[in-house]
Amino acid sequence: MSFDPTRLEIFKNLYHSVAEEMGAALRRSAFSPNIKERRDYSCAVFDASGRVLAMGDHMPVHLGSMPMSVAAALGALELGPGDIAILNDPYAGGTHLPDLTMVMPVYVRGAQRPVFYISSRAHHADVGGTQAGSMGPAREIFEEGIRVPPVKLCIGGGMVRDVLALLLANVRTPAEREGDLTAQIASCRTGERRLLEILSRYGLREAQSYGRHLLDYSERMMRATLRGIPAGRYRGEDFLDDDGYGSAPLRIAVEITISGGTARVDFSGSAPQCAGSVNAVAAITESAVFYVFRCLVNEQVPATAGLMRPIRVIAPLGTIVNARPPAAVAGGNVETSQRIVDALLRALARAIPRRIPAASQGTMNNFTFGGNDPRRGGASGGAAFAYYETIAGGMGARPGRDGLSGIHSHMTNSLNTPVEVLEHAFPVRVLRYGLRPRSGGKGRWRGGDGIVREIEMLADVQVSLLCDRRKIPPYGLTGGEPGMRGKNELQRAGRSMPLPGKCAFRAQPGDVVKIQSPGGGGWGKKRRGTPK
Amino acid sequence: MRIAIDTGGTFTDVVFLDRGQLRILKVSSTPQNPEHAIGNALRALAVAPTRATGRAPDSAPSGDRDPSPLELLCGTTVGTNALLERRGGRVTLVTTAGFEDVLAIGRQARPRLYDFFVERPEPLVPSRRRLGLRERVGSQGEVLLRPSPGELDRVTRLVRRSGAEAVAVCLLFSFANSAHERAIAGKLRALKIPVSVSHEILPEFREFERTATTVVNAYLVPVMSRYLGSIVGEVSASAFGGGTGSRQKSAKVAPRVHIMQSNGGVVSATLAAREPVRTILSGPAGGILGARYVARLSGFDRIITFDMGGTSTDVALIDGEARTSHEASVAGLPVAVPVLDIHTVGAGGGSIARFDLAGALRVGPESAGADPGPICYGRGELPTVTDAQLLLGRIATEGFLGGKFPLDEARTRQFTARALLAAKGAIRSVEAFAQGIVEVANATMEKAIRVISVERGYDPADYTLVAFGGAGGLHACELAAALGVRRVLLPKFPGALSALGILRADWVKEFSQTVRLTGYSPTKTQEELRRAFLVLERRGKAEMATEGFSGAQIKIARLLDCRYVGQGYDLEVPATEKFAAAFHRAHQLRYGYADPKRAVEIVSIRARFTGVTPKIGLPRGSMAPPSARGAIDAERKVFCAGRRLSTPFYERAKLRPGNRFAGPAVIVEYGATTYLPSGWSAAVDAYENILFTPGRNVRSSARSK
Repeated sequence: MSFDPTRLEIFKNLYHSVAEEMGAALRRSAFSPNIKERRDYSCAVFDASGRVLAMGDHMPVHLGSMPMSVAAALGALELGPGDIAILNDPYAGGTHLPDLTMVMPVYVRGAQRPVFYISSRAHHADVGGTQAGSMGPAREIFEEGIRVPPVKLCIGGGMVRDVLALLLANVRTPAEREGDLTAQIASCRTGERRLLEILSRYGLREAQSYGRHLLDYSERMMRATLRGIPAGRYRGEDFLDDDGYGSAPLRIAVEITISGGTARVDFSGSAPQCAGSVNAVAAITESAVFYVFRCLVNEQVPATAGLMRPIRVIAPLGTIVNARPPAAVAGGNVETSQRIVDALLRALARAIPRRIPAASQGTMNNFTFGGNDPRRGGASGGAAFAYYETIAGGMGARPGRDGLSGIHSHMTNSLNTPVEVLEHAFPVRVLRYGLRPRSGGKGRWRGGDGIVREIEMLADVQVSLLCDRRKIPPYGLTGGEPGMRGKNELQRAGRSMPLPGKCAFRAQPGDVVKIQSPGGGGWGKKRRGTPK
Repeated sequence: MRIAIDTGGTFTDVVFLDRGQLRILKVSSTPQNPEHAIGNALRALAVAPTRATGRAPDSAPSGDRDPSPLELLCGTTVGTNALLERRGGRVTLVTTAGFEDVLAIGRQARPRLYDFFVERPEPLVPSRRRLGLRERVGSQGEVLLRPSPGELDRVTRLVRRSGAEAVAVCLLFSFANSAHERAIAGKLRALKIPVSVSHEILPEFREFERTATTVVNAYLVPVMSRYLGSIVGEVSASAFGGGTGSRQKSAKVAPRVHIMQSNGGVVSATLAAREPVRTILSGPAGGILGARYVARLSGFDRIITFDMGGTSTDVALIDGEARTSHEASVAGLPVAVPVLDIHTVGAGGGSIARFDLAGALRVGPESAGADPGPICYGRGELPTVTDAQLLLGRIATEGFLGGKFPLDEARTRQFTARALLAAKGAIRSVEAFAQGIVEVANATMEKAIRVISVERGYDPADYTLVAFGGAGGLHACELAAALGVRRVLLPKFPGALSALGILRADWVKEFSQTVRLTGYSPTKTQEELRRAFLVLERRGKAEMATEGFSGAQIKIARLLDCRYVGQGYDLEVPATEKFAAAFHRAHQLRYGYADPKRAVEIVSIRARFTGVTPKIGLPRGSMAPPSARGAIDAERKVFCAGRRLSTPFYERAKLRPGNRFAGPAVIVEYGATTYLPSGWSAAVDAYENILFTPGRNVRSSARSK
């Protein structure tokens, strides 16, 4: 294992720039606000064995889960030159149905097998199912949309028209989906082109050998980080409010064992999988662990598979951290993933309290709506539309720093859709979009404030809300107070009605949905006489 | 007399034309009060313009200048620095009620993903000075709620009480209907506080970016007004102002002061004081214009500029014309007005090298800056890119900055060897370490150039790399090899390129308007476009008239920002009847696919007004014989691809048009050093620019191990 430190750094940059260039191509040519404005996508580069070498700085929740997509595609299909596999089945390499993932092999001339793989994943605004936007309450995955096991969307560079037709026939906004899928394909081709350039410049052997060095390098980095945490067993737990169908709070329990540069992360004791959609598949749990430990590394380190080598994740099958079919899973990706992070941080706060923040808002406040836009589409009763957004909230206070307000934390980092884009594209009006004063938890350092967002519907619209932290607030640490819980309301004809965290309903023109996102937890006891 | 001044961190460069000859003067910058350096320069010029240049043996010192009135053109970093150091004015912001926090929330994303302790810049206006006006316009420009006279008065009162030095106004959908913005701005202007209004600064959609840009403008107005006021003061106090009983007839004509903008054009100081947000990247913009001009003289129209300094590097691609971007950000704040599309990376000669704890060699982003500086300057203790170049022998220890600044090689070797211990034997010699540092730095530069070329659909191999800045020439050839570039141009005056660009700059201002025209039908769209352009052009012509342009001096370019209906990003194409075809081609180039069946939306229209200014030209020299031996100053050992080669050091000032030589070679001039690797050859052209070309054996910097 001898490597040149210079070459290692150069290859680190090269692989990362492939993933970044893929992301830029996807963002700029995509059609739905969810991809082009909110940037809910990820792109990554894999070696010939399907181990991730680089990922763009896109969505943390995709971190640990994209390798599983590649593994599933490779297990199910023989991918030839110019082929592209597509999948979204959470039980076969996916995460939740709206995330459509493409996997493409990269061949060099004369090679029998692919020498690299690339993958691009994007959250599509609708993939069918009971609720417009495919993010509503559901009891089974069959209600959540079309389920796509690994299939070929392209063969030898050409689109497989019947697969595309089948997909588009099952979604509410086929033209937009087709545009986004085309952009995703273009992004894969960008990645392929870039990798081939690198190979022609450095040679296949060198590129593959530095791929391996890069994995070892990340592993060393993680081991050094783990050795900086006192050895021992640390327990943490936290709860989701409910499953959306009246359940009691759902427990996520974790025990982290640190010893000799390794970590064992055991989720035994977590709640059994539930009736609603907040079930996470194993890929999500892996991603959350990946995210937390990567944040502990003090260097800018590439998100390679090597980082996870010293870490063993145990997630018992049939629990909300490793669900079995046919459990619904839309919320596992967006809500349970956040709570897994909260449980992990609580455990780590016992080991390294000065490096761990209090709980952030712990939800993505998923807000989905769709219907027919009477302003478009003429006599047909309006053009179909579906829209999805997540709403930021308060960040947990950090030792030494207040939490930030109105910002996404942990497993997501999607942007907002500008009001001037939203109202132009959909029949809604935003009445208010601002910070929620004093919602951050008090403490020596304050939690960040949440957000207040009020949207008036201008047409008959089907609305889904998938939010948590409406009952159990984000915790404070070391004496800091919890952040304020989130709150959903419907204002109709001058009256305000509370809405549950997870629900779906039909809104009429004039209805206003008001969402207040949670504040972050505080850190440390507030000292008397120290005005802040 | 036209004088261009570019204020940099260390030097203030002055370029002017003296009886047909281009002259350069460098004075020390005065960072606390940048206008003082300008005053010093003007005083030096007024006394003896030719002697001041220090390199005009052919002309006698004289006071009889070009008698035309003084025109001062300035590049400035005042705006950028005020943003970086948060020294702008106290701003109050008026928004649509319910949206006061748009500025604070931004796009709700965090700047770094994997960092529990991430920070983001505080908004320039705190919440107590963000005021909501009860009004609303809808997405089609329709009025949903008209602000009542009482409401306008209420907000005006609050603004007055807020103690604002400047006000920013940004209401939702004001790009579609500006009536409410105009109503409140009218009231506020009566308070005698400068008001920046979003539909005037940037009439384009996306409320956060428009608000942030308008706020940056308001924030800079007080600073810029003070600064421009003092420049005018300095001019008046100098002999040019006529205030001291000048001999000049021209003194009767008021001197004109122009400011360079980020879009590559100049505007009057009056306009710059009102819209300072347009000046924040004015220095780099000057550099690009200068590089473009010089490269054109040498016959190159398609260039990539590579300006590598101590702490950062600017790169830009010019395909005939420099392109503008609308997505710049400064100090973490978005600035959506058009700026020349310059990509900056935080790496330069001062970037620090280290081994991370898993054994990779990192270079930057930490920089030794000016203090403590690289090891070789005598105080730093961590190896930088500059130190690596010194250890490879490519920088002469004496002769740096004209010999005023000896470099300490023994010290550099000692501290670099100490840093090398962290490699635990993976790198064996200090020279190999130095070579590694240069390679990693080059990889960073290469990535930066890929962002502006490959990522946008351009192949760098079709371009000439124009290298300048203190360190640009040291890296240019190796970088070119890595990118497949076959020509590197080292311009004359690398240290004053920016001032030269400013001297030749035209007056430029762009007027834009979001229109969002869909449902394309040729006749209807053409008619709507014609009307929309008419409105912009009326505004533009009025503004040009006050800036003193008329008739044939005015050029107008009409452009459309287009995308497929539903997309989020636009591509700029000329506003002709065939714009849709041009858009499909641009999309194919940029993203690798086009879909002529999809409808095209015109998002915004742009009218770019250019006021053509008189141009000076650089003289063509007569060709000397090829031998450059006379310019050789010394022979030294330089490391080249792992071998020590005896290498001639040329003195740039002694090179003559027509001279040719081969690498390895080092070219030394005041403030810059250039390294020509073996296998490359150099030719000095009639404009004293030097063109480097690789031999057939130089293919790529990649070596097989």
